[in-house]
Amino acid sequence: MDSNLRIGFIGAGNMAYGIAKGVLQSGDVPPTNVKVSAPSARNFGRFQELGVAVTHSNAELVSSCDLVFVAVKPHLVTSILSEITDHVTPKHIIVSVAAGVTLATLQGLLPFDTVVLRLMPNLPCLVQQGALLFSRGTRARQEDGDLLRSLLQHCGLVEEGPEAWIDIHTGLSGSGVAFVYLFAEALAEGAVKMGMPSALAHSIAAQTVLGAGQLLRDSGKHPAQLRSEVCTPGGTTIFGLHAMEQGGVRAATMTAVETATERARELGRKSAPTATENRK
Amino acid sequence: MDSNLRIGFIGAGNMAYGIAKGVLQSGCLIAGDVPPTNVKVSAPSARNFGRFQELGVAVTHSNAELVSSCDLVFVAVKPHLVTSILSEITDHVTPKHIIVSVAAGVTLATLQGLLPFDTVVLRLMPNLPCLVQQGALLFSRGTRARQEDGDLLRSLLQHCGLVEEGPEAWIDIHTGLSGSGVAFVYLFAEALAEGAVKMGMPSALAHSIAAQTVLGAGQLLRDSGKHPAQLRSEVCTPGGTTIFGLHAMEQGGVRAATMTAVETATERARELGRKSAPTATENRK
Repeated sequence: MDSNLRIGFIGAGNMAYGIAKGVLQSGDVPPTNVKVSAPSARNFGRFQELGVAVTHSNAELVSSCDLVFVAVKPHLVTSILSEITDHVTPKHIIVSVAAGVTLATLQGLLPFDTVVLRLMPNLPCLVQQGALLFSRGTRARQEDGDLLRSLLQHCGLVEEGPEAWIDIHTGLSGSGVAFVYLFAEALAEGAVKMGMPSALAHSIAAQTVLGAGQLLRDSGKHPAQLRSEVCTPGGTTIFGLHAMEQGGVRAATMTAVETATERARELGRKSAPTATENRK
Repeated sequence: MDSNLRIGFIGAGNMAYGIAKGVLQSGCLIAGDVPPTNVKVSAPSARNFGRFQELGVAVTHSNAELVSSCDLVFVAVKPHLVTSILSEITDHVTPKHIIVSVAAGVTLATLQGLLPFDTVVLRLMPNLPCLVQQGALLFSRGTRARQEDGDLLRSLLQHCGLVEEGPEAWIDIHTGLSGSGVAFVYLFAEALAEGAVKMGMPSALAHSIAAQTVLGAGQLLRDSGKHPAQLRSEVCTPGGTTIFGLHAMEQGGVRAATMTAVETATERARELGRKSAPTATENRK
């Protein structure tokens, strides 16, 4: 990787911060080559603690950076891209993190030969345990994807796929984080019903979810395989699993991912511009 | 406390290994460092010794020899073997020993009944993620175990994961929540992945992302110190994908069924505990 690669973030929220932390951890990009822009200085503090430069000018940031993450709320994307489009060259790489904003929309708001990628991270990027899926726009080549993947490797799991998978990733992994929270809460509440104090039950539930998730991720085995490995005949586990199946946890959880995915698709359709709008 | 504390494991299975790894990493603050040479494991066959020896741990086939040469002994054999193991070693157990049983469903009363009456006994319920130092462990002190015995155990186990102490009544709940809970998480992760597959994501990728999502969310939850309901509401964009999905989970009764899973597993643990209890006059020395 070019050690002079300059990375910019438009937007100074949680996602920008989590990604910035991961980018810096790779050691390939010094903090002085990273810049963030936002209208107010309110969120600059933690970026500055990383040694990252700050600015209030999006145009200045784009002009002084090679790869720019657009990490603003979805409804701000149109105005932000309109603001910077005159400063975008064919050498730039623009990576949008805005949920529900399609590559077609992004490319329509920028010069027609701009290299654009679309990235869907998730909240655990904040602790470098994210799940991130990206998709390449029309002008983004294999090496642009490889560069992005390399930059993001310390943010968590990084995968590439067709744009159609981004909505699924939103449902599974973006909203999935909240589904896990609900599940962990239910585990704890079951223990509270049985007589364990609430704070302890929640603490143990959280640790159990973390530990099981790590075993699952690192084993490379199918969860059904792992599940059968831990079911002592006639033991406590198979009794509990039966209750989960009887309660239809599997189906309801599948429905949750399906519903969230369909909502993501719906929101994506709503935000798409008409074909002749905004094209430069 | 003697800085030459010697730790023994009767049984060389997954739990013994996970705990041994954690113990060696702890650089025990109370007792000074525990070097591998101060750790020993015993088992009938050498089949499982390999990974212990890679840690630098000593091995033996003699349970009696292990007990005689160790100060704190983890009894990490399958529950149905506990009676014969304890009967075998009881003549070598002194008041200076600390015996920690890891056997599921075997009560402190049973353990204490099989050992000399003034033995310091603790009962420990770990879980499988101890293997990767992300376990959730609950222990309970027997009649003769003092506060400092509990503190020593907690200190030894700190690198195994989360370590808590509680009354024996909580051990069955811990079994349901955290022992069996690991499998409940597996089922949940599988369902997440299957939902994504239905929507068009390839299976291997879906499972990989689901596992990472569970791990990441679990870490955020554990490290935030916030109630999961609080965290949940922080991530629900109005009209967004998350609240749509959560509604589906509630409509499907995931919360109730998951509570029932923990309840059922706990009740089964209690039932197994009752079945394994000896009669009052059995086995007392």
